[in-house]
Order: sequence, then C-alpha cells, then structure tokens
Amino acid sequence: MPKAILLVIPVFFMSFFAVENVAYAMHITEGILPPTWVFIWFAVSLPFVGIGTYHVKQKKRKIPGYLPLVGMLGAAVFVFSCFPIPVIALNGMATSHPCGTGMSAVLLGPFVSVLVAAIALLIQALFLAHGGLTTLGGNIFSMGILGSFSGYFAFKVAQRCRLPLFWSGFLAGMVSDLFTYLGTSIELGLLVIEKGGSFFKATAEIFGVFMMTSQGILCVVEGIVVGFVLVFVYKRRPNILLNLGIIKNDTKPLQQ
Amino acid sequence: MEFLHHTFSDVYARQNNWLTRVDVRVKLFYAISLLSINLWAKNMFIPLLFLSASFILLFSIKIPPMAILRSMLLPVLFAMLILLVKGLHEGEKVWLSFPILGYKVVLKEEGLHSGLHIGSKVLGGISLVITFSFTTTISRLCAALKWFHVPNTIIELLAFMYRYIFLLLDEVSTMWTAQKSRLGHASWKKTIQSLGTLGGLLVMRAFDRAERTYEAMHVRGYEGGGILTVNLSPWRKGEYASFIGMVLILPMLVYTGNIHAW
Repeated sequence: MPKAILLVIPVFFMSFFAVENVAYAMHITEGILPPTWVFIWFAVSLPFVGIGTYHVKQKKRKIPGYLPLVGMLGAAVFVFSCFPIPVIALNGMATSHPCGTGMSAVLLGPFVSVLVAAIALLIQALFLAHGGLTTLGGNIFSMGILGSFSGYFAFKVAQRCRLPLFWSGFLAGMVSDLFTYLGTSIELGLLVIEKGGSFFKATAEIFGVFMMTSQGILCVVEGIVVGFVLVFVYKRRPNILLNLGIIKNDTKPLQQ
Repeated sequence: MEFLHHTFSDVYARQNNWLTRVDVRVKLFYAISLLSINLWAKNMFIPLLFLSASFILLFSIKIPPMAILRSMLLPVLFAMLILLVKGLHEGEKVWLSFPILGYKVVLKEEGLHSGLHIGSKVLGGISLVITFSFTTTISRLCAALKWFHVPNTIIELLAFMYRYIFLLLDEVSTMWTAQKSRLGHASWKKTIQSLGTLGGLLVMRAFDRAERTYEAMHVRGYEGGGILTVNLSPWRKGEYASFIGMVLILPMLVYTGNIHAW
C-alpha cells in the first residue's frame, strides 16, 4: 500500500464528516493549480464551452422555448447533484453527492451539457466556495468535458446494443462519474511532472484513493439513480424523453 | 438539503453595506487582478496578506465568522491533502519519519515547504473569492458580465439557472421530507429507489415549468432574442478613484509577490 494512500485516507474521512456530512471531492480548489496549468485547462475547455454556447444560440433562434428549457433542466441537474447519497461502504454514516453530468449529457447532449456544467461550476465556485475561479478551466475539463462526453457516448453505445433504458442510464451515470474522477486525478497527477515525479504513479494513487473511499461506490450508485430517473420519466411522461430526442417515436416499446 | 440555502453566500450580498455598494465592475477588476497575483506569488506573504485583508473586510460588514469558516472548511481540507501528498512525494531531506501499522512514513522538508506554499495560495485565493461573493448579488454579476462582453447566451443561462435552483430546491426538499416521513428511506435500497423517483419528478417539474415560463415570456414578446435588460450606469468619481487606486497598488503587490521568501 503506497504511503500516500495511508495518510490521505484519513483526510478524506475528515472531509466526509465535515461540511454537513457531504463530500465534494471532485472539484479542484482555488490556488491548487500553477499558472501554466490554469492557462492550459482554460485553453482546452473554452472551445467546448464556445461550441455549447453556439448550439444553444442557434437552437433558441429556431425554437424560442429552448433557452428556458436548458436553464430549467440545468437548474434541475444542479439540484440533482446536491442529492445526499448515503455511502454504503461507510454503513450510511456519510453521504456523497452525484456529479449529474451524465444525466445532463443524456438530457441535453454533450456540448450543451458542458456549458451547463461550466455555469454550475461557476455558481459553485462563487456562492458555495467549491472549486475556484482559476481552477474553473480544470474543473470544466474533468466534470464538464470528460463527464459529459463519456456519459453521452456510454448511453449511445448502450442504446446501440439495445440495452434496456435502465441499463443505458446506469452506464451513462456510472461512466461519467468514473471519467470525472479520472480527469481530476490526471490534473492533480500532472502537477508532479515538474518536480520529476512519476505522472502515472501519482495519477493512479489519487484515482485509487478516490475509488477506495466513497467515490468508487458513488459511481455505481449514481448510475443506478440515473437509470431509475430515466425509467420513472419514461413510465410517467414518455413525451419528455421523446421531445428531448432520448427515445424515438418509431421504435417499438422500450424495455425498462 | 435545506442547508444549501444557508450555504449560498449571496444571502449576505443583499444586505446594504459599504462593500455591497461598491460598483461590481471595480470589485470584479480587484478580484481578478488579486487572484492573478495570488496565482503567481512566489512566497507565502502575499496570499496570507490577502487572507487577512479579506477577513478584515468581511468582519467590517458583520459577516458571521461561522459563515466564513463554513465556506473555507472544504478548501482547507483540500489544502491539507495537497500538503500531505507533497510532503510524502517531493524532496529528499527528511523532516519527520514515523511508523504507522508497520509502514514507515517519511515527510520531506522540501515537499512540506511546497505544500505550505500551495496551502497559503488556497487560503488567499478562496478568501478573495468569498469576499467577492459575500458582497455581490447574481443580478449585479450578470450586469457586469454583460459590460465585459461575455456572450448573452451564457449570462441568460446563468441567470435562469440561478433563479430556478432555489425554487427547485424548495420543491425537492418538501418531497424529500415527505419520502423520509413515509418510510421512503427505511433501507439503503429504498433510499436509492426514492432518490430515483425524486430525480424523475425533478426532471418532469423542470420540463413543465420550462413550458410555463416560455409561455409567460412569449406573451411578453419574447421570440428567442436577448432577455437581458439591466445595464450598469457609467462610472462616477468614486469608481474611477477605486480603479486608479488598484492600478497604483498592483505593481507593489506584484513586486512583493515575486520576492523569494517564506
């Protein structure tokens, strides 16, 4: 067991029991990233945010009701990401919260989901002090870009394989969560390169710590919750999924 | 879930005090410039200076210490994690070594030094951000972003999302309490199923509300164009004085931040 893990675990446990029992582990805090990486992550993230903005701008011209829809679903995903999920590994003693990007990517598409994630991260950085302004680019990369695209593609692949709606949603939620944590681990792992450390070792250690504490289970739980959400909406109001383009009208009834 | 209402720092931004009255563009200029200096600082003096100055400013407008500490707790924990990782991985000079469960833990001086430097930057940076957010409402921020030519679509979405987060939070809190009181959270499995139902209802309500909001906007003449109407007034003497003051202080702070010292 690497030494880092031995000391890092207690810190994570401390974080669970602090702040009203909620762990917000996937945001990189203000001041952590050095200037070079701040610029690199902003440069990587801005084109995606730009394309997302362009998508919304074009679509709202054609469908005027699109802007309120994205705003409202964005707010819903933000609230969804605040759900306190009990972590079974800790016997429900602590709670963690889902990323929500997998669900937003399924509902809104990956580029618009990146834009929604960027705005959600800005709100969290400013008004909840989770994440930061200089680390916004890095957080958009891990949570917005990696989370949205991985979740969206997982959902599409599952649909292509004709998996039931629940399992498609499960894969979207779980894979997006996994990639978000992988992204954060990569960003933190890259910091050791300048000092001659091993990037792969550091990334693997940080990712391992994420997975060994509550976040590994959270990925699975978020997948289950997203699956339930989609099935629930499909049972009650299939027209919502139809309007959002998640299901097609001409398909035979979906397996749930 | 109710705790989020109290955690959102703009509750304090709606108060009337000398810092909330400062023009939002000046505050934004200050916040971004000082965050940049904090980012490039080569010593711990500048971040700690920002931390103390922010505390003094926040205490001067009577922000409860607990609200400040609550905002800073998570970043501090993250800084501690970085301090540990750096202390274990960087450098060669042993500062402290001790055994834990048969493993020899070695903390190195250079790594701890670097970890403390980053930790101070975290504290300095986050204190600047919370000083800004404790004194600025979202509507003022949107107006300032418009003045800085941030695309309207982004600002409109920001305003929309922020406006409806609290509304949806209230609805979800009510449903959450109802689920809890009706044994919806009796077991772990039931809790997860209840969360799925809650999420599904959230999506359905958001969709319905979006339709109603669009209808309301449509009858007021909205056809997909811009919806931002708030414009900031031109700068007065006070704003120019604050801006010039910042321009004069900046070189001094940049110079101090570049000194290689603890």
